[in-house]
Amino acid sequence: MTIDDFIEKFAFAIETEASSLSPETDYKQLPQWDSLNTLALIAMADAEYGITLSGQAINDTRTIADLWTLISSKVKA
Amino acid sequence: MIKPISGVAIRAVSSVVPTRIARTADYVHLSPEERARFQKATGIAERHIVHPGQCASDLCTTAALRVLEHLAWAPESVGALVLITQTGDQPVPATSLGIQHRLGLPNSCLAFDVNLGCSSYPYGLAIVSSLMRTLGIERALLLIGDVSSLTCAEHDKSSWPLFGDAGSATALELDEHAPAMYLDLMSDGAGKDAIVIPRGGLASRRPAGDGPAEQETDRDGVTRRPDQLILRGADIFGFAISKVPPSIQRTLDAAGIDSGSVDLLVLHQANKMINDTIARKTGFAGDKTPSSLEHFGNTSSASIPVTLGANAALFSEAQRSTLLCGFGVGLSWGCALVTLARGTILPITESDHVY
Repeated sequence: MTIDDFIEKFAFAIETEASSLSPETDYKQLPQWDSLNTLALIAMADAEYGITLSGQAINDTRTIADLWTLISSKVKA
Repeated sequence: MIKPISGVAIRAVSSVVPTRIARTADYVHLSPEERARFQKATGIAERHIVHPGQCASDLCTTAALRVLEHLAWAPESVGALVLITQTGDQPVPATSLGIQHRLGLPNSCLAFDVNLGCSSYPYGLAIVSSLMRTLGIERALLLIGDVSSLTCAEHDKSSWPLFGDAGSATALELDEHAPAMYLDLMSDGAGKDAIVIPRGGLASRRPAGDGPAEQETDRDGVTRRPDQLILRGADIFGFAISKVPPSIQRTLDAAGIDSGSVDLLVLHQANKMINDTIARKTGFAGDKTPSSLEHFGNTSSASIPVTLGANAALFSEAQRSTLLCGFGVGLSWGCALVTLARGTILPITESDHVY
């Protein structure tokens, strides 16, 4: 369970190339980002990590590293 | 855990949609690429929507006439009529009263409305069956329907392309041999703003843009009139995939069976991503979870009867043990595990009739 694995899964969920992403990526500024991707992210977190992300918690993140911090904290909880 | 209800049989279920079709491929507020992505993620290719002027009450009345005719029930034999809708004809009186009169049901028929959305079907079965058993009412009609298209701003990409309009009627009858109905009914008003019409009248006859109403821009960036629907998809998604699978499990536990013993899981048709996730988490394979999303979209309160009607052939050969599960606005959710006798489900019909 590393951030690199997470970036792979995140890239697959939003149908983009993992090589175009990094922990510092401000993911909501990606040209293809839209509200459907928020749903794809929630579905991926449920399927891959067994956790439920709320819309508000996602709103409060900016970078992929923020998302990973959120998910890993919930996985440990 | 709540008690099962026995001694009430579901005799017939009918669903009615308007003829007018709105296609995802024609939705001008999304680019062609966005339309393709939307359709892939939600599973919605098109929906049936009313011409302004046709109400949920019209669709439900047509559906009710269909089950009365199918069962050859005399109107005077019906002892209760319950309408569940969030798009009634007018704020006062309850829309069910007008339908009682139209259908020629007797004065001894009790009639009232219930305000629920996507959870309507399990709630409706519980309400009507309880009344019938407790008060000794032999026959009842449960009408459920909404014209959600009239509540959404057409430019609102988060709601308008999701919703279809539909009405339904379920005929129930006391029958001491009827199999038990197992229920799970839940509420969480902490999520009341996840799907909300903040203000304004709900009459479906009210034309869009009628009267003075100031536009407001919500935190999602969409500008709407305050009497139009706001749907916060991410909040609903999180709720649905975390709360609905345990409800399905409690229902199976109440009946003392596992998912393998259930023929079909009929979910509220929210969108494909939500429904696929719930089915996966509860161990129901794709061929046990019929859908109506592709051609009817999210038909709100009527989505379970519409999905039954869209897959009527599944019920034409043998009885089916069916787990019906609704979830959404409220937040409100629940399940009913029922046995649907052969031939109980009538195919969907189309009607633009206004009464």
